[in-house]
Amino acid sequence: MSPRVTERNPEDRIQLLQGTLDLLILQTLVFGPCHGHGIATGIERTSEEVLLIDHGSLYPALQRLERAGLIASEWGTSDKNRRARFYKLTRSGRARLAAETGKWEKMVRAVGRILRARGEEAT
Amino acid sequence: MKLPLWLRWRSDRELDEEIQAHLELEIQNNLDRGMPPAEARFAALRTFGNPTRVRERARENDLLTAAEGLLQDIRYSLRTLRKSPTFTLVVVASLALGIGANTAIFSLIDTALLKMLPVRNPEQLVQLKSISPAIGLDDAFGYPAFKELRGATQVFSGVLAFRKLYDMDFEVDGHGGLANGQLVSGEYFSLLGVQAILGRTILPGDEKAPGQSPVAVIGYDYWRERFALDPEVVGKKIVLNNSPFTIVGVTPPEFFGLEPGARIDVSVPLNMVAQVRPDFAAPGTPYDVFTAPFRNWLYVLARLKPGVAKEQALANLEPIFARTRRESAEGLSGLPFDSPAVRRAFVATKLQLDSGGQGLATVRARFSKPLWIVMAVVALLLIVTCANIANLLLARGNARQREIAVRLAIGASRSRLIRQLVVESVLLGLGGGAFGLLLAFWAGRSLLLLMSHSRAPILLNVHPDGTVLIFTLSVSLFTALLFGIVPACRAAQQTIRTSGKATSRSTFGNALVVVQVAVSLVLVMGAGLLTRTLVNLKDFYPGFNQDRVLLFSVNPLMTGYRESQLVSLYERLLDRFNAIPGVRSATFSVHSPLSAGFSSTQLNVQGYRPPSDRELASVGVEAVGPEYFRTVETTVLLGRDFTAADRAGGPKVSILNKTAAHFYFGDTSPIGRRVNMPGYRGDPSWLEIVAVVEDAKYHDLREQAAPMIYIPLFQSPESGVTFEVRTGIDPASAATALINAIKATDSRLPVFGVKTLRSQLDDSLLQERLVASLSSAFGALALLLAGVGLYGLMAYSVNRRTNEIGIRMALGARPVEIARMVLRETLLLAGLGLAIGIPASMIASRLIASELYGLKPGDATTVLLAILVTSGIAALAGYLPARRASRVDPMIALRYE
Repeated sequence: MSPRVTERNPEDRIQLLQGTLDLLILQTLVFGPCHGHGIATGIERTSEEVLLIDHGSLYPALQRLERAGLIASEWGTSDKNRRARFYKLTRSGRARLAAETGKWEKMVRAVGRILRARGEEAT
Repeated sequence: MKLPLWLRWRSDRELDEEIQAHLELEIQNNLDRGMPPAEARFAALRTFGNPTRVRERARENDLLTAAEGLLQDIRYSLRTLRKSPTFTLVVVASLALGIGANTAIFSLIDTALLKMLPVRNPEQLVQLKSISPAIGLDDAFGYPAFKELRGATQVFSGVLAFRKLYDMDFEVDGHGGLANGQLVSGEYFSLLGVQAILGRTILPGDEKAPGQSPVAVIGYDYWRERFALDPEVVGKKIVLNNSPFTIVGVTPPEFFGLEPGARIDVSVPLNMVAQVRPDFAAPGTPYDVFTAPFRNWLYVLARLKPGVAKEQALANLEPIFARTRRESAEGLSGLPFDSPAVRRAFVATKLQLDSGGQGLATVRARFSKPLWIVMAVVALLLIVTCANIANLLLARGNARQREIAVRLAIGASRSRLIRQLVVESVLLGLGGGAFGLLLAFWAGRSLLLLMSHSRAPILLNVHPDGTVLIFTLSVSLFTALLFGIVPACRAAQQTIRTSGKATSRSTFGNALVVVQVAVSLVLVMGAGLLTRTLVNLKDFYPGFNQDRVLLFSVNPLMTGYRESQLVSLYERLLDRFNAIPGVRSATFSVHSPLSAGFSSTQLNVQGYRPPSDRELASVGVEAVGPEYFRTVETTVLLGRDFTAADRAGGPKVSILNKTAAHFYFGDTSPIGRRVNMPGYRGDPSWLEIVAVVEDAKYHDLREQAAPMIYIPLFQSPESGVTFEVRTGIDPASAATALINAIKATDSRLPVFGVKTLRSQLDDSLLQERLVASLSSAFGALALLLAGVGLYGLMAYSVNRRTNEIGIRMALGARPVEIARMVLRETLLLAGLGLAIGIPASMIASRLIASELYGLKPGDATTVLLAILVTSGIAALAGYLPARRASRVDPMIALRYE
């Protein structure tokens, strides 16, 4: 099941493509280890609050990624002096991110071209 | 049930902690933004979503969760099954029966037909045989040929020879006893890789000059029976057939010889043949077993060198063997039966190599077809059983609709539900399999007893080994899926369609019943054909009267008699027997009727030159005592019976059976004509034919009568005879008096093979009886199950339609019409089953055509009878629900539901 992502306007909710959340998590971790809450707010902030995440949906995704060996985790202390589990990118996670980013960009370009072509035809 | 913490990927508690930390951070953030505390908390929870759902989703990632779910399903299934003990009992019991029958028959097939010999690398062993156009396939070789084959060291890593010796006299400390023995060549044990568990085996060094190595190796079972596993047995002196031997070792328990189903008690070196069988060895004559090329008495097995194929070995051996045959043919000169035709037959003989890893094919050949037939029968029975259980499960699925609906409502996924139902079926299957295995273990032993001849019991070591366990496990799982999957899917689907029209249930249930009826018809028809075959064979006149005849055997030469003493001994015995009250007449012969043996040779008719296609035709020779035909009640068609006057010194006489008389003399009377048979014990003297008698069966009741010549045993004395004594009373009750009469004549003479001629005839019908009784029993069971299935379906349908029936009756339908309606539905299903079953049983009966006697595969009477029985059961199964339907009270029925 893909995580639900909401836009500012609740009527414009869309379903993210499968695996997109994984990609976003990996990308967020490029800047260093981070706990679940940090990742959630990080994605929201970076996307300029366009993408809002059900924070809960993050955790199954984090577990899945850790089982796949793309990220690793350990307990640590947050900047607000609270205990939290910190996730960091592994070497294979980094490689996967590079590959997935390339694929994603290719797909966006392709989809964009198709959509633009249709739009031109219509006008 | 929860898995132990260490088995899980990450504990729930840890995840809870993480979620808790997340929420606190978010609340803090919200507070920092200036929200009031209550709102901050509420907003954090809203952003997070449902924590329980998060936990569940996280857990689905866990591989072990699947196993955990399965354990849950198993526990739940066990609980459900325990809640309906009758259902569980019925299913497990019928499965145990079906799977048990399959396992029992399979373990027999595995042991008797599939298993390799318990020797080193059995797959390398080949059995050598010879084949010729005139004689056909021959398993045995002469000693000279064996010597040549032994030299083929470029393709074989070794060659061994052996010869079985039945009913040996095995004397220990002055006490006699019977044992099955064998003569073995020196390399026998070393080539097979069989090591002695005590002492040593017979070694190549033991095969010395004739009579020079009186050593014996005994089998483990015989060691246990005769010597109580006494470790001091090595070095013990014994007497075998009146000749002294020393025991040098004991073979391991798993070794039974090279013939599955038989057991070797004692092995002695080949070169001791004249000591244990002086009558057979004929030392110093042209018939000496060590020099005569035409005396085929040795079974020969060889071990192929690694990497050598059978074809390659055969190509290599052909020239060697051809040379042997040519030399043998030349060696015939001067012998009474030498002729160009015999020489041609010798030279035309070719070698053949068969796989020898399974040992000699005696039991295999006899039981292969019957066992596969019974296997097919039990497999079909299992299908009928499965169909019944599937129908039961369908009904149960309907009854559990409410439970399933509740489980769906509280969030069970459909696939999870199906999985749980299938787990239930698998548990039932495994339960049935486990009890089936126990049943099979018990039944396997009984089956072996059923298969065993009274004379030669089949000694197979049937026990559930790895192969059988795997078979049972896979059959259990397969049947569980067969009967479980469709009902499980149906049950899970049913609740969606709230209208509850159980049409699909009916269609599938109907199909199941149709299959059951069809399969039952096939089984009933097969059982009918096989049973009528048995009856036909029993009713057929075998050429003698088997009632009230006692048989028993002696072999005086084995206990020290000389050949010249035999006639007077037999005469004295006959006199004593005839003096016993209740004895009508007594005689003897080398082979008794249906004892599966006689010698055969070529017959020359004085003044008659046979056409070339007949010059090698052979007749069976049987030496018999005075009044033989009167005693066994074989009709004398022409001439007279042998009398006590037909003895040495008198005119030499013979009697032909009808087939032989017709073969050599056509329609003219052979009485007074003269024949000779120099090939039989080398005696070329002419014998006058004094009678023609009815054909009698010697091997089995199915055989085409062979041409036979009978000669008076007093004119051609032999040791080893079977007495036939006809009594006026129950022959078994005369046995003691008869054996005492022998003891009174010579207390040291062992008597063996005491039985009635009737039991010998019954023995010869063993396979037929085995197959007929097993297929009848299983056929009846299948029919019963099909009947129960049909009844269950109709009863269910009547129950479901009570309302409708009530309306019909309220509108004026008479009870008879209602009953007819239900019955019509039943018979429609049964008719459909028969329509499929009739062609199927025609095909099946053609497959067993070779097992039938006196009737054709599509025998009309049997077909009609099978159809009648099957539809009778169907009608009965339909009648009971129909009667109930006709008694429905419309008032009650309309209030129903």
